[in-house]
Amino acid sequence: MTEGGLRLNWQRQNPIVPAGSVAGRTLMLLIGIMTFLSCVTFGGVLLVQKSALGWSADVGRELTIQIRPLDGEVLESNVRLAISLAEAVPGVESARALSLEESEALLEPWLGEGVDLSDLAIPRLVVVRLSDPAGVDIGRLESEIAGISGASVETHAAWRLQLNTMAGTIVISGVLSLVLILLATALAIVFATRGTMATNRDIVDVLHFIGASNRFIAGEFQGRFLLIGLKGGVAGGLAAIVFFIVAGTAMSTVMPETSSQQLGVFFGQFALGLSGLLGIIGVVLVIAGLTAITSRLTVRRYLSQIA
Amino acid sequence: MIAFENVGLRYGHGPEILKDLTFKISPGSFHFLTGPSGSGKTSLLRLLLLSLKPSRGTVSMFGEDVTQLDRDRLLQMRRHIGIVFQEFRLLEHMTTFENVALPLRVRGQNEASYRANVEELLDWVGLGDRMDAHPEVLSGGEKQRAAIARAVIGKPDILLADEPTGNVDPELSERLLHLFAELNRMGTTVILATHEVNLLEKFDHPRMLLNDGELTIHD
Ligand SMILES: Nc1ncnc2c1ncn2[C@@H]1O[C@H](COP(=O)(O)OP(=O)(O)OP(=O)(O)O)[C@@H](O)[C@H]1O
Ligand SMILES: [Mg+2]
Repeated sequence: MTEGGLRLNWQRQNPIVPAGSVAGRTLMLLIGIMTFLSCVTFGGVLLVQKSALGWSADVGRELTIQIRPLDGEVLESNVRLAISLAEAVPGVESARALSLEESEALLEPWLGEGVDLSDLAIPRLVVVRLSDPAGVDIGRLESEIAGISGASVETHAAWRLQLNTMAGTIVISGVLSLVLILLATALAIVFATRGTMATNRDIVDVLHFIGASNRFIAGEFQGRFLLIGLKGGVAGGLAAIVFFIVAGTAMSTVMPETSSQQLGVFFGQFALGLSGLLGIIGVVLVIAGLTAITSRLTVRRYLSQIA
Repeated sequence: MIAFENVGLRYGHGPEILKDLTFKISPGSFHFLTGPSGSGKTSLLRLLLLSLKPSRGTVSMFGEDVTQLDRDRLLQMRRHIGIVFQEFRLLEHMTTFENVALPLRVRGQNEASYRANVEELLDWVGLGDRMDAHPEVLSGGEKQRAAIARAVIGKPDILLADEPTGNVDPELSERLLHLFAELNRMGTTVILATHEVNLLEKFDHPRMLLNDGELTIHD
């Protein structure tokens, strides 16, 4: 019979490693905090990633044609020409000129209310919606539009590149923070384990003398640490879930509706969704596993050092 | 069963505590190990327990050179050796029953399979009603008997006892000695360190006398 298989039968007995000798509560708190930080970092990265992807895709489904008024050109007919040229390009869903009122609304923040645009030489905008952003032939569209004097195509490509770079930077920083948090957790567990082993050195010696194998002793110690890791991890994970729920609720109640909507786009409405929940469970499991493996290795090393 | 050949022992760079020990101990024998305090009795027992390696010479037990053992073999051998420490070394957070059962527990045995045996042994050493007590509430003599019970529960081939009567009155000492003699009759090789002269006189066992690091055996 294996030595590990029977451990469950011993619950009525005192554990071999005395309960009070493990710096359990401190370690559990530490692991809880580390898990919380990991989950929040993970969730934050996920939200930024999701929002950036969504936003970038939204923007990518649209492009704008700008037609400047030139002397000797009839602006309205140029606008109509641009619309019909654009709609003829495969992959384009629709093209629509912004009305003067819409342009005014766009410019209002800069020019103030009630400006009559008809007096100004304001370019007209044509919004082109793409049904197939990947397949559309931008080159053809650009060359055809270039035939209209004063017209140009704006694809938002530079802007999307910037957005993606920013999101990528945040994701990389987040992943780096996660790795560092896990590393710090592992180090803390090494210290705690070594401390516990040193405190219980007498017990370890007696166990050796009465014929306990290193495997048995390691199992007794690391079982303890796995439990601490699981408890701390679950507490930290739950705290993170509560944090995201509270933050999401606060966002939608405190903020006035329009700005909340804008921020919602930014933060993905703080809705982590299923992938976020699974991710948090994953983080908890990783931390518990990290605790078990780190303490096992540390115990093993300690035991072979004193042999 | 046990053979020492030109064994010397020193701690670190200190002086040789044991010098040039050569002797054999045959299975089923009972030896007293005696000598003044500090003469190296505990050190010799630690060599026999395989918790120290000799600085020179060879120690063989059960027909094997113990300096050449790998970890698994060492473990197997330890399971054939029972030890009563001079300072008991019971685990404070466990009951008497659990302390005594520990050698079986670390071998992976199920509590159900050994409970009756442990209880019987505890009755035999007179601790039947102290089974659930923790060491801190036991008297010196009770701890001593618990330590002895822990040493013999695994039915060792060799029993090493370091001053097992150090903390008890002469009457109990004698009773404990009878207990060891009983185990010896059942086949266990016993080496018992003591410097109590009255015990040495009352029981007629060969003596290993340590003095100035040298060992002489008086049959
Ligand atoms: N771990 C150690 N490190 C260094 N020296 C030690 C160590 N253990 C024992 N000694 C020394 O070895 C010598 C023998 O000690 P040991 O404990 O073997 O004597 P003993 O015969 O058991 O004494 P006692 O009858 O008092 O128990 C002593 O001088 C002691 O100081
Ligand atoms: Mg001694």
